Amino acid sequence: MDHIEVALDHAQSLGAEYADIRIQKTRKETIYLVDLSLKNTSMNSQHGYGIRVMKNGAWGFAHSSIFTKDEVKKTVESAVKVAELSAKIKKGKGIRLAPERGYIDTYSTKIRIDPFTVPLSEKVDLMLEVNKTLMNYAKIKRAFFMLENYNDDKFFASTLGTRIHSNIYYVYPMIIASAVDKNDSQSRQFDPGGYAAGWEHILKMDLIEKAPSIAEEAIMKLEADEPGEIRRRDLILDPHHLGLTMHESVGHPTELDRVLGWEADMAGVSFATPEKLKKYRYGSDIVNFVGDNTLSFGLATAGYDDDGVPGQKWYIIKEGILNEYGSTRDSRPFLDDGMSRGCCRATNYFDFPINRIPNLYLEPGKKRLSPQELIADTEDGIYIEGRGSFSIDQHRVNFQFGGDMFWEIKNGKKVRPLKDVLYKSNNPEFWNSCDAICDERYWKDFGVNNCGKGQPMQASRMTHGASTARFKNIRVGGSK
Amino acid sequence: MKKEIQKAAKFIEKHCTADDYTLSVYSYDAEMTRYAQNMITQNMSGLRHGVSLDVSYGNKTGSARINSFDEAELKRMIETAQNIAKLNKPDPEFVPSAKKTKIPKTDNISENTAKANMKDMVSVIKQIVDNAEKKKAFVSGLVTKTVTDFYLKTKNGFEAFDTSTEFDNSMTMADNKSKETKVSRSVKDINDYCVKDEIALLNSQFDALTKPKKIEAGQYNVILRPQAVLNFFMFLLYFFDRKTADYGISAMAGQTGKNMFGKKFTLQSRLDEKDITVSPFSGGGVAARNIDWVKDGVLRELVTDRSYAAKIKAEPNFISNIIIRGGKATEEEMMKKVKNGLIINNFWYIRNVSTRKNEITGLTRDGIYYFENGKIKHSVNNLRFNEIIHRASSNILMLGKEFNIAANTKVPTMLIKDFTFADTTTF
Repeated sequence: MDHIEVALDHAQSLGAEYADIRIQKTRKETIYLVDLSLKNTSMNSQHGYGIRVMKNGAWGFAHSSIFTKDEVKKTVESAVKVAELSAKIKKGKGIRLAPERGYIDTYSTKIRIDPFTVPLSEKVDLMLEVNKTLMNYAKIKRAFFMLENYNDDKFFASTLGTRIHSNIYYVYPMIIASAVDKNDSQSRQFDPGGYAAGWEHILKMDLIEKAPSIAEEAIMKLEADEPGEIRRRDLILDPHHLGLTMHESVGHPTELDRVLGWEADMAGVSFATPEKLKKYRYGSDIVNFVGDNTLSFGLATAGYDDDGVPGQKWYIIKEGILNEYGSTRDSRPFLDDGMSRGCCRATNYFDFPINRIPNLYLEPGKKRLSPQELIADTEDGIYIEGRGSFSIDQHRVNFQFGGDMFWEIKNGKKVRPLKDVLYKSNNPEFWNSCDAICDERYWKDFGVNNCGKGQPMQASRMTHGASTARFKNIRVGGSK
Repeated sequence: MKKEIQKAAKFIEKHCTADDYTLSVYSYDAEMTRYAQNMITQNMSGLRHGVSLDVSYGNKTGSARINSFDEAELKRMIETAQNIAKLNKPDPEFVPSAKKTKIPKTDNISENTAKANMKDMVSVIKQIVDNAEKKKAFVSGLVTKTVTDFYLKTKNGFEAFDTSTEFDNSMTMADNKSKETKVSRSVKDINDYCVKDEIALLNSQFDALTKPKKIEAGQYNVILRPQAVLNFFMFLLYFFDRKTADYGISAMAGQTGKNMFGKKFTLQSRLDEKDITVSPFSGGGVAARNIDWVKDGVLRELVTDRSYAAKIKAEPNFISNIIIRGGKATEEEMMKKVKNGLIINNFWYIRNVSTRKNEITGLTRDGIYYFENGKIKHSVNNLRFNEIIHRASSNILMLGKEFNIAANTKVPTMLIKDFTFADTTTF
C-alpha cells in the first residue's frame, strides 16, 4: 500500500491532473501436449506495476517490476516526463476524461477448485487420455491439447480515491485433431475459449468423452465433398461460430476508439460512425447485442476496468439499431459528455490500457425454437459449427468466414458433411438477414483469449454468447 | 543488463540440481509513442525482462518463467521448474539441451538507436503531423525504439548472448473521404531512417489516390509493393516446418527437392547480408547458418527443430532473417510489361483457407491503383484475394530491387500475373 500512496502523491506533486497505478501479479500455467509428447509444461509468473498520469491534456505511462520507494518515484517521474512530451502534439485541450467517482471495492472470480492446486498428474493424465483416444484412429496424424490456467491478482488505485483489489481466474482447454490421407489434411477442434471459473469447469466438460467425436469428424471432413461454386443460400450458425462472427463484425466496429480513428494505423477504423447512433439499421428487429461486463463467467469481467469504472450491462445494438459504443474514460469525451462504459483494459502490467470489446452477446430469440426445428424449417442451406478461417476489412464492413464443421441442409434435413466452406457477406447485409434465433435453452458462451489489438499488440480476453441463428440468402460455397 | 544476466546464470548453475537445464533471459528496453488523428494518444516507456528455465530429470521436463533477477525469485523459479519436472510424465520426444556451439558473429547493434530518446521520437512525429496538416489529412501511427538482449545457456555447454537495436515507424495518412495509405519501416540504425524520405513516399502514395472505381473480382496482373510481398509470402512460414510436412498436413508434404515454387522465387536466410540483422542463435540453441529455403523455385529446406532433427537425423535450423531475392526491374518497367493491372500497397487480415492447398485469403489495404499502358489511371475499391502461395510464385514475371522493409527482412517489388481476387468490397 505504501507504493500506491508514494506513486499517487508523487504524481500529483509533479503536477499530474490525474494518475493511477496498477499493480499486477499474473500466474499462468501452460501445458502443451503434441501427440503423446509434453512439449511444454510451464508456470509463468510476472509481477510489476504500470503508472499512468495525465498532464497538460496528454497521457504518460511508465512501468517497472522493482518494488522500492525510489523506483516507484522514478517510474512516476518517467511517466510525467512522457506526458509533458506528449502534450507538445495535441489537438485543442488534448485528452480529457469522462466523469467518474472513486470506489473502494474487491472482486473475485467465483471458483470452487483453484486450478493451481490441482495436481499436475491429474491434468496431464486427462490430456494424455484425450490424445491417446484421438491417436487410436489411424487417420489422425496429429493430436494437440493445450491447457491454460490463469490468475491475475491486481490492485488498482487512482487519484480519484479508488482502491480496487481484484483476483481473476480462468481455465482454457483446446484440443485439435488433424486427419490426413493421400490427398488432403483436415482438422477438427474443440475450442470453447477460456471461462472465468476454476478446475470444476474442466471437470464438467467431459473431455475424454468428447474426444472420439472430435477425431471422427476430422476424418469425416477428409472424405467430405467441397460445397461447389459460391451461391446464395441460408446459413445456420452455431453459438461457437457466432462468437467469432459477432466479435469481428459487431464487437470491433463498436469500440469507440476505433470509431474515433485511434486505431487507424493498425487494427483499423469503423464504418459505425457517430452520426449513425440510434438510427443505423445494423441488423433485423430480432438482433439485440448486449455489452455485459457483469457476466460472472465472462473473461472481461473484473468488477471494474483499468480506468476504475464499474462493470456495466448495456445495449450496443437494440432491435437491430446501433445503440451505443463500448467506451473508456478517455474516448467518451470525444463523443459526448456521457460516462465511460468501462471497456478500458490492459493485458499485462507493462501495457497501456486501451478500449476493448466487452463481454458481448446476442440475446436469445423470444419464441420457443430449437436448432433441430430451425434445420427442419430450412430448405437449402449450410449449417456451420465452430470457427475457422476468418478475415474482415479494416473498416469492419466486408468479411469472409469459414468454420470448423459443415453440413449441407436440404429440405429440412442435414444430408451430408462438407469441407472447406466459406461465406462472404458484409455489414449491414449479414445481421439484417438474421430471421431466426433459437431460444435461451440453446444459448452458449464462447471465450476469446487472444483478441489482438493496439500498438504494441496486446492479446485481450472477452466472452461472447449466442443461440443458434439463421441468416437468409448469404453467398456461400468453396474458395473460388 | 549483461551483468545482471551473468549473475542470474551463475545462480542457476549453482542452485539448479536437475539433470539438465536451459536458461534463457531476455530484456526489452522500449520507448513507444503512439499518435492518431494528428495528436499523441499514448506514450510508453520502460524496461522489462523475462527469465525462463527449462529443466529435466531423465526425460521428464518442467519449465518456469519469472520477470525478476531477485535471488529469492530465481530460487522459487528453480524449485517450480524442478517440481513440475519431477511430477511430470516422461516426454518420448525429449532431447538433451544444446551443446557448446560456435555462434556466428553478428552486427545487430546501433549505438545511435540505443541513445535515441523520446524527444527524438516526438520530433519525428511533429514532422509527420505537420505534413498531414498541410495536406488537410489525418495521420496515425507508432514510433518505437527498442534495445533487446537475449541470452541462452545450457548445462551441456551452450552459451550465447545477442543484443539488437531497432527503430520503427509506421504511419497511416487518411482524409475524410476515401484516401487512406500507409508507409512503415524498421531499421537497425536510426540514422538510416530518413523521416523526410518516408514522408515523401507517404505523400506520393497519398497523392496518387483518386476516388476509387469499383472493379469486378477476377484474375489481374498485380504489382505487389514490398509491404504486400512481405505480408503475402510470409504467410508461407506458418506451415513451413518439416514435421508438419512429413505428417502430410501441409502443402510442403513430399515437396523437398522439387520445383514447388516459380523459378523466380528464392527465399533465404543469410549471415552476412548487407544492411539487415540476423538472429545468431535460436531459443532452442541452434546456431544460425546460411540457408536456401527455396532456391530458384526448388524447395530446399524446411524449418526443423532439435527434437525432430534428432528423430530424423537431420541438421536442425531456424529462420534467422528473411530475404526474398529481387531483380532490377523498376515499377515503370513492370507497368509496361503487361497491358494493365493493379498496384497493391499492402494486404491485410491474411488467414489460412486450406493448409494442404497452401491457400490463403486477405484484403488489399492502404491504396490500390489501376494501371494501363504503363501509367496509373485511377484508384480502385479494395478487393479480397483467395490465392495459393506457390501458384502466385510461379506467376512472377518481374522482380524489383530488394528493399529493407524491416531490420531483419529484405523483399523486392514483384509483378505477378493472374493473381486471384475472389470478391469485391464496398470501399
